[in-house]
Amino acid sequence: MSLIGAGLGVIAWGAIAGVTLGALAPSRARALVAGVLTSVVGAGGVLAGLAALGGQGWSLTVTDLLPLGAMTLAVDALSGAFLLLVGAVAVAVGVYSVGYTGPGGRHGAEPDATSGDTTALAGPSSEPGAAGHAEGAASRTAQSALPLFVAAMLLVPAAASVSTLLVLWELMALTSLVLVLAEHRLRASVRDAGLWYAGMTHAGLVAIMLGLVVFAAGAGGESFTALRAGSGDLSPGTRSLVFVLIFIGFGSKAGMVPLHVWLPRAHSEAPSHVSALMSAAMVSLGLYGLIRVGFDLLGGGPHWWGLLVLTVGGLSALYGVLQASVAVDLKRLLAYSTTENVGLMLIGVGAAGMFAADGNRILAGVLMAAAVLHAVNHAAFKTLLFLGAGSVLRATGLRDLDLLGGLARRMPVTTALFAVGALGAAALPPGNGFVSEWVLLQGLIHSVTATGSPSVVAALSIPLAVGVVALTAGLGMVTFVKAFGVGFLARPRSTVAAAASESPLTMRAGMFLAAAACAGLALAPATAGAPLTRLLRVLPSVRDGAPLADSGIALRLAGIAGSMSPLLIALGLLVAGASVAALARRVAQGRPRRVAQAWGSGGARLDPRMEYTATSFAEPLTRVFDDVLRPEHDIDVTPYVESRYLIESVRFRQRVPDRLEARLYPPLLAAATRWGQWSRRLANGSVHRYLAYGFVGLLSVLIVVGISG
Amino acid sequence: MTDTGYVQILDLVCGGILLTAVLMLWRRELAAIVRLLVVQGVLLALLAALMGVRESSTELFVVAAGVLVLKAIVLPAVLRRVLRDSGEAREAEPLVNVTASLLAAALLTLLAYGLSRPLVALAPSPTTRALPVGLAVVLLGFFVLVTRRRALSQVVGFLLLDNGITATAFLATAGVPLVVELGVSLDVLLVVLVMQVLAARMRLSFGRTDLDGLRELRD
Repeated sequence: MSLIGAGLGVIAWGAIAGVTLGALAPSRARALVAGVLTSVVGAGGVLAGLAALGGQGWSLTVTDLLPLGAMTLAVDALSGAFLLLVGAVAVAVGVYSVGYTGPGGRHGAEPDATSGDTTALAGPSSEPGAAGHAEGAASRTAQSALPLFVAAMLLVPAAASVSTLLVLWELMALTSLVLVLAEHRLRASVRDAGLWYAGMTHAGLVAIMLGLVVFAAGAGGESFTALRAGSGDLSPGTRSLVFVLIFIGFGSKAGMVPLHVWLPRAHSEAPSHVSALMSAAMVSLGLYGLIRVGFDLLGGGPHWWGLLVLTVGGLSALYGVLQASVAVDLKRLLAYSTTENVGLMLIGVGAAGMFAADGNRILAGVLMAAAVLHAVNHAAFKTLLFLGAGSVLRATGLRDLDLLGGLARRMPVTTALFAVGALGAAALPPGNGFVSEWVLLQGLIHSVTATGSPSVVAALSIPLAVGVVALTAGLGMVTFVKAFGVGFLARPRSTVAAAASESPLTMRAGMFLAAAACAGLALAPATAGAPLTRLLRVLPSVRDGAPLADSGIALRLAGIAGSMSPLLIALGLLVAGASVAALARRVAQGRPRRVAQAWGSGGARLDPRMEYTATSFAEPLTRVFDDVLRPEHDIDVTPYVESRYLIESVRFRQRVPDRLEARLYPPLLAAATRWGQWSRRLANGSVHRYLAYGFVGLLSVLIVVGISG
Repeated sequence: MTDTGYVQILDLVCGGILLTAVLMLWRRELAAIVRLLVVQGVLLALLAALMGVRESSTELFVVAAGVLVLKAIVLPAVLRRVLRDSGEAREAEPLVNVTASLLAAALLTLLAYGLSRPLVALAPSPTTRALPVGLAVVLLGFFVLVTRRRALSQVVGFLLLDNGITATAFLATAGVPLVVELGVSLDVLLVVLVMQVLAARMRLSFGRTDLDGLRELRD
């Protein structure tokens, strides 16, 4: 039995054991059992993924397992990359969830009333802490759904037929929905988030199903082999229809604009370890689906497919990072940052598609590699960040950055690990996000010279894309400086934040695993060269060449005069930092030292109200992008009773609503409601009427068959 | 048995099945409708026995005996009990009146004959030529379900539907395996028993078994 088979076996048996033991174990052992088995399932994915990236192939057909046909699985290097990604996330999350869903903590509680101006909080109030805890993320349902969700995510990239893919996709959606709803008794906003998520994910499923069914009908078979062979026979119109449909479907799962509306809700309302799984792993499967169907099964397409993906990606990146930079809810911020990063990946994929259509395989290869590498990097740092946010939530019960602060002293490990993740997400060297964004930028920048005489569209869109990536990187930096600086440094802005305590060992261990992955990806990205080359061989339109040449410590791009050594950059930064510290120490040596409050300007009357808050930090951005964001301000001035010129208090509130959502979705929802109300007239309660519907339906079918036959 | 004799008896039996179905639409006395059901059950059993003679298989005779016991004895007995308990002797006012029902029955029978032409063309034989009768009875049963108000009439409609399906099965496949027939019969018996209980509960709740009393039972 090959390593891949062994890995998939571990996944399947681990999931079965996880579901049964998660449901049967006593509540005290449940967190441990579910967490460990989730990690085991994830480890199976890592094993299979590594083997597949190492060049092994594997396939399996089980007949009679699914009602509508055989279950077909096949693993190649492209599947391997996503198996590895999802598996690694699951390992860290499994370890983390043991502590997170264990006893203690404030994370199940209703958020503080002062922070609740963004969402409706009309739900029944419940006891925070232990009472609410057992029925939230630690409940039997949630704990047994966790390993199943991970297994479903791991098997999605291994699916090799349309029916298998759709069944696993739906299993993944349902289990994640169960997990999103884990804390539905504690907060009313969870139910709202669940509804949005269910609606969006099923709309996406419908689009994917339509696309793949049209594809399978045209290609004359539903296995991926048949689709690959038959895709050439499809008419260009059908191919484009299939591509647009699957782009919408997979894009809604990936969280691209304007189908991103479920991300900020579901990611912020789900238990944090689930948010990490969804944001880091599940979202990348949307990218996997797009690459698998668009570039492998359809085998690439005309120029405008790439342009479409590039445009949507650019919009997603910009809109996501803008919303993230003004968000004050930590998990909402991370969710919008996911939209941003998905946008960057889509820019890579879209540009790769454009160059592949032009026949420039080297550039297409570099850009596709950048997209996949960014997916892996994003998974690493986003897991870490969501787990860090979960630790904060567990310690304080708060997600509102304006009420946090001062955690560095009370939660030093969490703070340090969150900093690693924030460095990666801010795309600064030596973080891991920098590496893939650098590859992406290099690919885009060099494309104009490399393609010789580009078309007008390419000549316009590529420089714009470069600008988008650069602006995104800058705003991303602001976002994460804010998240880290306001959330963890300075002084606590609320009593709960001041009373925070460090997370249990398992949670720290889970975060440490994710941080180690970040560090590895940041310092030795060149090791990804050979696996990425194997991955690109799967895609017929970008098959040539090795995008990242592995030359020791430096990362070299093939066909482009670009190379970089993250290790040397890190070393240089270390040396520079050490020498500045040494210099400062030397200068300070022998001089009298006075101990005073930092930033006190000589005074000592510093209190937390003087600190920057997340809102005030983002204020300049809010002003600059006023036309896009349209923040809503609310100022209440309360004068004294005696005189209206003397003011007792001023209350300022700012909300930044999601404008795209406010513009696009209410009309759609209103139309759906009207339709539903109208169709209720059909069902007036009369049994005879219902029977008549059946009778008339039967007769019409019979008549149609009789006439056409 | 000679071939012509077999064909004539077969056509007679099938004609009887169709005729009883149409008569059920015509009569409004519930007791008379139950009597018609008995006749139809006997005819169905006869059909099965006829196929048994033709195929000379003992299994089909067992099936025929089963059909006889179930459709001519057990189910009518259950229905008579419902009738006795309910005290409603007539189908008061069907949603479609009797004349229109008979016209509709004619149309449905025509439709059944028209639709089953391609089926008959697959394997023309005296047995399959009688196939439209089964289909017509299915449609008539459905029609009774749609247009009759009383709970008992609903059971009758359901049984008519089932009789039609049984007849179609016999005619199209030249005999149904015992296991299949046994399974279907058990299902039908169970459904009728459940509907009997339902009718009793409805009478307790509303004082009558008009199905439109259930109109409030929605979303």
